[in-house]
Amino acid sequence: MTFSTQRPVTAGAPDIGASTTPAPPGRLPVIAGEWIDRTRRLAFTFEGKAFSGFDGDTPSSALWAAGVRILGRSFKYHRPRGLLSMANHDINALMQAGPRLNLRADVEPLEAALNLTAVNTHGGVDVDRARLLGWFGGLLPVGFYYKAFHKPKALFPFWERLFRRITGLGRVEFDAPHVRTPKRYDFADLLVVGAGPAGLMAALTAARAGAKVVLVDENARIGGSLGYQRGGNDDTLARLRALESQLAELPNVSVRTSTLAAGWYADHWVPLVDAKRMTKLRTRAVLVAGGAYEQPAVFRNNDLPGVMLASAAQRLIYRYGVKPMDNAVVLTANADGYVAALDLLAQGIGVPAIVDLRPEGDASDLPTRARQLGIQVLEGHCVFEAEGGNRLAAVVVCPTDADGRPQTSAPQRIACDGLLMSVGWAPAAPLLYQAGTRMGFDTTVQQFVPRELPAGMFAAGRVNGVFALEAKLLDGERAGAEAARFLGFAATSRITDRPTETTSPSHPWPIVEHASGKNFIDFDEDLQLRDFYNAAQEGFDNIELMKRYTTVGMGASQGKHSNMNAIRILARIRGRTPGDIGTTTARPFFHPVPMSHLAGRGFSPHRETPLHSRHEALRAVWMQAGIWLRPEYYAAPDKTRIELVREEAAAVRKAVGLIDVGTLGKMELFGPDAGEFLERVYTARFANLKVGMTRYAVMLDEAGVVIDDGVVARLAPEHFYFTTTTTGAATVYRELQRLNAMWGLRIGIVNATGAFAAMNLAGPGSRAVLAGLTALDLADAAFPYLAVRIGEVAGVTCRLMRVGFVGELGYEIHVPADQAARVWDAIMAADAGVRPFGVEAQRLLRLEKGHIIVGQDTDGLTQPDQAGLTWAVKTDKPFFVGKRSVEIVRKGAVRQRLVGFDLTVAPGGPVPKECHLVIRDGNIAGRVTSIAWSDALQRHIGLAFVEPDLAVDATPFFIRADGGLMVQAKVAPTPFYDPAGARQKLA
Amino acid sequence: MKLLRCPVNGVRPVSEFAYGGEIRSMPADTCSDIEWAHYVFNRSGVPGVKVEWWYHIASGTWFHAERDTVTDRVLRTWLPGDLPPAADGKAA
Amino acid sequence: MTATMRTSPLAVAVAGRKPELREVHGMPVPARFPGERDTWKATIGICDVSALVRAGLKGPGAEAWLAARNVPVPAAANSWTHAGGGLVARLARTEFLIEDGCDDVAAARLRAELQAGEPGVYPVIRQDCALALAGAAVNELLVQTCNADFASQSAADSIVTLTQMVGVSVTVLRDDRGTVPCYRVWCDGTMGPYFWETLIGIAEELGGGPVGIASLFADTAT
Repeated sequence: MTFSTQRPVTAGAPDIGASTTPAPPGRLPVIAGEWIDRTRRLAFTFEGKAFSGFDGDTPSSALWAAGVRILGRSFKYHRPRGLLSMANHDINALMQAGPRLNLRADVEPLEAALNLTAVNTHGGVDVDRARLLGWFGGLLPVGFYYKAFHKPKALFPFWERLFRRITGLGRVEFDAPHVRTPKRYDFADLLVVGAGPAGLMAALTAARAGAKVVLVDENARIGGSLGYQRGGNDDTLARLRALESQLAELPNVSVRTSTLAAGWYADHWVPLVDAKRMTKLRTRAVLVAGGAYEQPAVFRNNDLPGVMLASAAQRLIYRYGVKPMDNAVVLTANADGYVAALDLLAQGIGVPAIVDLRPEGDASDLPTRARQLGIQVLEGHCVFEAEGGNRLAAVVVCPTDADGRPQTSAPQRIACDGLLMSVGWAPAAPLLYQAGTRMGFDTTVQQFVPRELPAGMFAAGRVNGVFALEAKLLDGERAGAEAARFLGFAATSRITDRPTETTSPSHPWPIVEHASGKNFIDFDEDLQLRDFYNAAQEGFDNIELMKRYTTVGMGASQGKHSNMNAIRILARIRGRTPGDIGTTTARPFFHPVPMSHLAGRGFSPHRETPLHSRHEALRAVWMQAGIWLRPEYYAAPDKTRIELVREEAAAVRKAVGLIDVGTLGKMELFGPDAGEFLERVYTARFANLKVGMTRYAVMLDEAGVVIDDGVVARLAPEHFYFTTTTTGAATVYRELQRLNAMWGLRIGIVNATGAFAAMNLAGPGSRAVLAGLTALDLADAAFPYLAVRIGEVAGVTCRLMRVGFVGELGYEIHVPADQAARVWDAIMAADAGVRPFGVEAQRLLRLEKGHIIVGQDTDGLTQPDQAGLTWAVKTDKPFFVGKRSVEIVRKGAVRQRLVGFDLTVAPGGPVPKECHLVIRDGNIAGRVTSIAWSDALQRHIGLAFVEPDLAVDATPFFIRADGGLMVQAKVAPTPFYDPAGARQKLA
Repeated sequence: MKLLRCPVNGVRPVSEFAYGGEIRSMPADTCSDIEWAHYVFNRSGVPGVKVEWWYHIASGTWFHAERDTVTDRVLRTWLPGDLPPAADGKAA
Repeated sequence: MTATMRTSPLAVAVAGRKPELREVHGMPVPARFPGERDTWKATIGICDVSALVRAGLKGPGAEAWLAARNVPVPAAANSWTHAGGGLVARLARTEFLIEDGCDDVAAARLRAELQAGEPGVYPVIRQDCALALAGAAVNELLVQTCNADFASQSAADSIVTLTQMVGVSVTVLRDDRGTVPCYRVWCDGTMGPYFWETLIGIAEELGGGPVGIASLFADTAT
């Protein structure tokens, strides 16, 4: 067994022996198996007052031990609240510690120097001024916020502010420190959720069969009810110790305490949440042994501090050595309540009465034993109401009639400072529901139990409707063996079917009506019994509708203590069974998970070209291009961005520039069918491309829309090398692979995008610069425009292409990544006049040439004819992707065309920007896709989509610029610069 | 579906894959413009068992997956050109 | 190998730590980091081994082509084998990665021969960022960065895993250095700086850090 927990505790650690110091008031003498370390005191504050507790305490246990009874205020009426479940099944004790919000004080470990405050109070938890709201409860009927405050509309913001102030849970601190919460993955054969008797037996059985088991429990220690439902002796603790030592012998079990299985996702993915992180567990099977939530009885003032679930008192005693009260009445409807009474007596706590809702009482010998111990046992009685101001002072008990209704003619008032409720349980089944388990209502246990479990899901123990201890152990063994067999291991168990209970541990109607209300169903949301009748009367009598209207189960404890009673009430209202009513949908997460856990570590991959360090040294200003970082321009002292971009562009036009184009997609294509493949995927002809030459290539999708472009070079008859756009590389490569998976041509495609660096040496001086670095014959006849050559540059074998994207004599040099820096350095050193230029200058230079950028000057609907690419589309080929669509579209009218335009801006007038609209007669007639000031041309130039009748040279049109001002432009032929292309073809 | 079986690389989390759409055959050249437009633009949303393209990103593997879109369970996966294996009904 | 000086994709990423560099196959890589001790063996050490020479090929004829040259070919998809001081890995079904050890020249020779072109055999240019992730705690680094279950693999399984780590496509195999668990990882060189910084950041949180090639590969050419 490996053991992990967020707290430095060891399973089965020896209990601390006789303490030399006497137990502080509120603490019991040392309890065998207690979780606290009485040698380690922790000082903390609550609501500004100093307290101390022990290591192993929770804030709630330490405060209760110190006599604090008001731990929080309720959400709506700001009623005083103490402990209910002591198990995080309610949020009575929801606290804040500085930046830590939503601290569940019942279960979170106490730490030294915590400064705690109760949330949602005005003036402190003891004197909360908003408690006055309780007196006006009648003005706040169920669903009131759907009805009230909407009229007059003008006042709504006032009400909204008021309600936000008085209802929020906690206060966000904006200077909260950054906490690292890295996620991790884990893998197992079987996840067992819940380390109570059933879960422990299941884990043992499956692990012995050979399965790799992860056993999680949300509590700080394992054991579940074995640790706290003892009945006044330590027999169950001994059972727990025995199971622990058996578990410790198995290396293939990993036990994780203080860890929550927060949800179930398809294929058995379960997020395990602990204090520090979320672990995404991939397991092959899940066994839910999460037990059951004890359910409150419903009677007037059932929320008074001192009224608590029986299991809460037992947890206080056995986990924390805290005396829950001095005198307690036990309200019960099962054997568990009698066991709890014995636990109280064993600690010297007075039990004046056990009130059993059942007329027939308990079938076991427990009532007799209780009576022998001097306890008054009142069968067929109920607690009609609880009395007290800020804490319980007495309960009023009365007999019930055959229908369970209170007979208030002869009430009996019993003074007490505690009331234990032990009237039933609800299964902790969210993971089972999320996995698609069909659940059904079993009347013998008055509980929803699994009827049909999906493959790989298993359930055992109370969640499976099994409550007796021996039966739970057997059921755990059964389910563990079933899970092991599902996983392919050999395993047997003593029983093969779920054990059946003879008496129900849950009462079908633990609810007592009261004319004055304040009999709470949902403690989070302050919902009373009458709210449900009102909701049903208003027509919200379906469980999902009722939930949303009343908000039952929508509070921070997500219905753990309220859904079952809500279902019972609705069933009674409608004259149906709970099984007919059904449950609401259980969605992940089972319990709120901090956002920081969900965020985890932020991974944001980016790519750097092999020349990245060179750009850094040259003071590049970076921009993002897809996943890449690229130099937008290179900074220089005392110069603006726009000045530098123009200088870089001018250097290319007048001398020589060098740009890193390594982000282009780069593909290698081999094989006898390589030419045929390119014919099919690009619009132009490639079968006839001569070795040593390149050709512009446009790619369409099946709808005939331009999706990518690039340059195809033929290096050998069966070897092509081609580029794609920077952002298109990954998707183009993927799609080409898919197409050939269909076509089965004899080709091999290699995505060499990262393996090759590329740079474009451009400008009238480029040939002279290159000549000094290579033995290649650069004369026009030997290396003409659009040719590709392989040769050494600065001693490195490169692929060189004469391309014209920026409209000057230029060489695109492709070089293996590990030698790119060497080539770049050699070029930069060859001539002091070589000026590095960035993406922004390149965009201007290509615009002067009227070259489009796919994705900027085209969009998701642009057909090649609209973008002026008709020349590159060879519809006389038998097939290319998108051909049929292009042909069909050509039969109709073109809706828009991409045209060049220029404009003269009035001094001080607005300059249109990309995406500004072309307007005609008040209607949209197109949009600008590119625009820039051209130094070379001394005017603004751009590209725009316009309606076809505007796409005629010299046609004026209007662009609506910032501020709604209209700017006149006129259609101009492209290329704007060097229309004959003489410069790039420079001989 | 959180896991998917790549016929080459085995069972992996679905985040390692890219979806390539339902497998549909391109109509013959002789089809009408309407038929072609139907092929290009329309997809069947009818729930049921569909054969789809899936791509394992890290290895560059395209394969076919038969998936029940009602239950979101993958019945079987295979490489293009291979024969589909017997459906095991289990999640891949 | 040409005499041309090669640059590691991680050259800049490691420079700030001022490692002692050593040239391996024409590429300077960190031989040792300042203050580097053997503690990484108990925690995590991350080593840049991009300098090792690699050849790549794919296609229906690749397997036969390698066999004809007496290269040991792993029979199963996604498996690998040692070859001399280096290794041969079968990536998916018909692609191969051959990596030399520090002193070998097999990959360099194969790479030259691949240029000749042969039907069904297509050269794959390899310009990887290549790392070794080693140390007793390396699995903790893997479970925080990758969704594949490496803990259930043993070195003897000779499995090649094509998966993703911290959002980067990677090839991973386990090749222990003596008794120290060690995973070899290859990714696209242009992803290298991000990949390195991310893994080093997590490794340092876990008590590990970068190590030089001399610590992991005693046979490193000098």
